[in-house]
Amino acid sequence: MKLLRIRTAMTWLALTALAAAVGRSQAVVEGRVALPKPAHAPVLNQRYTIVSHAGVLSPYPPLAVVYLEGAFPPAAAPAVAQMVQKDLNFLPAVLPVRVGTRVEFPNLDDTYHNIFSYSAAKRFDLGRYRGDERPIPSEVFDTAGMVTLRCDIHEHMRAIILVLATPHFVLSDPAGAYRLEGLPAGRYLLKAWLDSRTTLERPVELADGATLRADFP
Amino acid sequence: MKAPAAPPPREVASFRRRLLLAMMLVVGAAAVALLLFTQRNMAASARLELEREFQTSLAALHAAQQVRHASLAERSRALARRSRIHAALEDGAPDLLYPSARDELADLAGPEEGAPREAAPPGLRARYYRFLDAKGQVIPAPNRRDAGDLAPAEEARLSLSVLPGRPQTGYLLRDDGAGDPAVDELILTPIVSTETGETIAAIVLGFPVPPARVGGDAALAGGVMLDGVLYLPTLAAVPRADLQRELKPRIAAAGDRGRFEFDAPGGPYLVFFQQLNPGSAYPAAFEVAVDSLAASVGRQHRLAWEFCGVGILVLAGGFLASQTLARRLAVPVERLAVDSEANRAHWHRAEAALETTSRELQRSARFSADASHQLKTPVTVLRAGLEGLLAGQELGPEAREEVAGLVHQTFRLASVIEDLLLLSRLDAGRLQIQFSRLDLAPVLAALVDDLGALPDHFDLEVLTDLPPTLWVTGERGYLTLVLENLLENARKYNHPHGRVAVAAFEEGEWAVVGIGNTGPAIPAEAGEHIFERFHRGAVGENVPGHGIGLNLARELARLHGGDVRLVRSGPDWTDFELRLRRAPAGEPPAP
Repeated sequence: MKLLRIRTAMTWLALTALAAAVGRSQAVVEGRVALPKPAHAPVLNQRYTIVSHAGVLSPYPPLAVVYLEGAFPPAAAPAVAQMVQKDLNFLPAVLPVRVGTRVEFPNLDDTYHNIFSYSAAKRFDLGRYRGDERPIPSEVFDTAGMVTLRCDIHEHMRAIILVLATPHFVLSDPAGAYRLEGLPAGRYLLKAWLDSRTTLERPVELADGATLRADFP
Repeated sequence: MKAPAAPPPREVASFRRRLLLAMMLVVGAAAVALLLFTQRNMAASARLELEREFQTSLAALHAAQQVRHASLAERSRALARRSRIHAALEDGAPDLLYPSARDELADLAGPEEGAPREAAPPGLRARYYRFLDAKGQVIPAPNRRDAGDLAPAEEARLSLSVLPGRPQTGYLLRDDGAGDPAVDELILTPIVSTETGETIAAIVLGFPVPPARVGGDAALAGGVMLDGVLYLPTLAAVPRADLQRELKPRIAAAGDRGRFEFDAPGGPYLVFFQQLNPGSAYPAAFEVAVDSLAASVGRQHRLAWEFCGVGILVLAGGFLASQTLARRLAVPVERLAVDSEANRAHWHRAEAALETTSRELQRSARFSADASHQLKTPVTVLRAGLEGLLAGQELGPEAREEVAGLVHQTFRLASVIEDLLLLSRLDAGRLQIQFSRLDLAPVLAALVDDLGALPDHFDLEVLTDLPPTLWVTGERGYLTLVLENLLENARKYNHPHGRVAVAAFEEGEWAVVGIGNTGPAIPAEAGEHIFERFHRGAVGENVPGHGIGLNLARELARLHGGDVRLVRSGPDWTDFELRLRRAPAGEPPAP
């Protein structure tokens, strides 16, 4: 857990440094995504899971991934992210990454896991492995799209890796509020991913130093 | 009595024959009935036992099949839940469907080539598998070798018009490659989307049906009837073809289950059929269990022969026993027959003798009667003549004395004739006693008086001891005659100046008159003969008499229910006794 935090912090640090290097003047987008009402009252610190409903995979409690689509320079160094298996669940349930990111799949359970995906964006099969497997099994996701993760051993385990062609993305909080910082000025398409079938979008024009308010919908 | 060497009469022989026949019939019928009953009973119980055995075997077979089926179904269900298959179907990777399933099916479908992992039992190893799409149609397998080989026509039969939401069982008759039919059990398991909850596909697994043989010596063979074709490899070809023909209409008529007996080469068979997949979307298949009754029928035949043997033995024994028994039973009857034969001869002889005697007796009686009558008349005439002479004056006193003596002799003659007449009537049984109540005492007193008053040369002293009354029953005339005769004898066989003692008394129910007299003794050897007719004692040679007095007295006394007997006879004293039935004094006369 500690490791995860450190790595996440490092990633954010790197991104912030990158943004600072590109230009001092940066735009901010913030707003709120109208999330579907949860079926029952949200529980504090509730673990997110992927549920399927009428053929639609969505995180539960509802959550949105907001990202800025546009032409961005390629990443200087390949990014690394982690999808942890713990207590026979994936953590996080939804992991947005930029194309080209290596995602590690550490097994923190005492049992075997066999992570695989048949999704068109990335087909892979890590095979059966335990927590002491070194190096940590990992895959590079170099095609944008939604990847459904499954465990061959534990049929209920499900997670989504959202491979995005942009470095600018953020997860909303449970209430749907988001804030994207360090954005370059210009015209873009702002998108909000809600579930496997639903991605909202709206064009935005960002100005340096300005904070844009953009709500969905 | 018994005629030992004489052959039994014809009736006896025929009786023995009939008895023997009847006993043999009874024994035979009983033995046959018993044997038939026992045989039928045993046959029925053998049948029942066989049936029970068959049902038990069948139940065992079914239990094994159920376990197998449940195991296969459970594994199929587990398979249908597998993530890879769901991933292939739901995450849009149809190309990965069969390959991923092949991996999953590895243990179900059989060991991998080369190195068998864990050898599943042959019946638990799938021969092939196919996926059906949401419309129930087979999703073609990209690589037939992975999914198990199946001819296109056979593959097409896995398809269903509608994808069922529940597991289905079916059977597929296919060519095993060598031209022989083989039956596979199909287990269809629907695959339900974890996303939508809908049935999105199905997996069909084909397992070979192992030929079932239960019951040790292959008595029970199990197979499958599908689309009118019987798959029963353990049964020989000839009865199988016949059975297939036989089964079709029966299945059509009976529905989902039934049983019947079936005769074909190799012995009669007991056949049981039952639908294996009732309610299935696949064509109806029937389980067919066949049990050969040949062994049982053979056993029954053997049993029947044994019964026949035992029956013959029992019959023979029974006949022997009945023969012996009949002979023994007939023995007393034969003896009786022989005895009765001898008896009859005796009887005939006695009857003849009796006849002769009776005839002679009658003749003699008639003679006596005739003679008496014939004699009476001349005696009367004689007496009348003599009395006429006496009455006349022609005779001198001397002659008169002579004639008087002659008249007296006529009286004696008449008396003898009278006695003879009486005797003859007695002998002829024509004498009827008119019984009446009678006091003998005065009669006796009168007779004793007469005795003492008789004017003769004896000059007897008469002693009497008489009661005032002596009631008896009888006829006065005859009893008087009896007493007269006895007193006459006491007088006749006396000597001059002798004594006569007459005593009368009652003794119990008897009235007894004792008459004793002096005189020569009656010899002991003559004791009983003195009562015979015309017998006269040696002593009486010079005594007048005819030898009928005592005889007449006894006969008459006996007719009255009494008797006359000689009490004793010693030197110079002889005692006679008359016993008569006493009539109670003072009572009215007996009838």
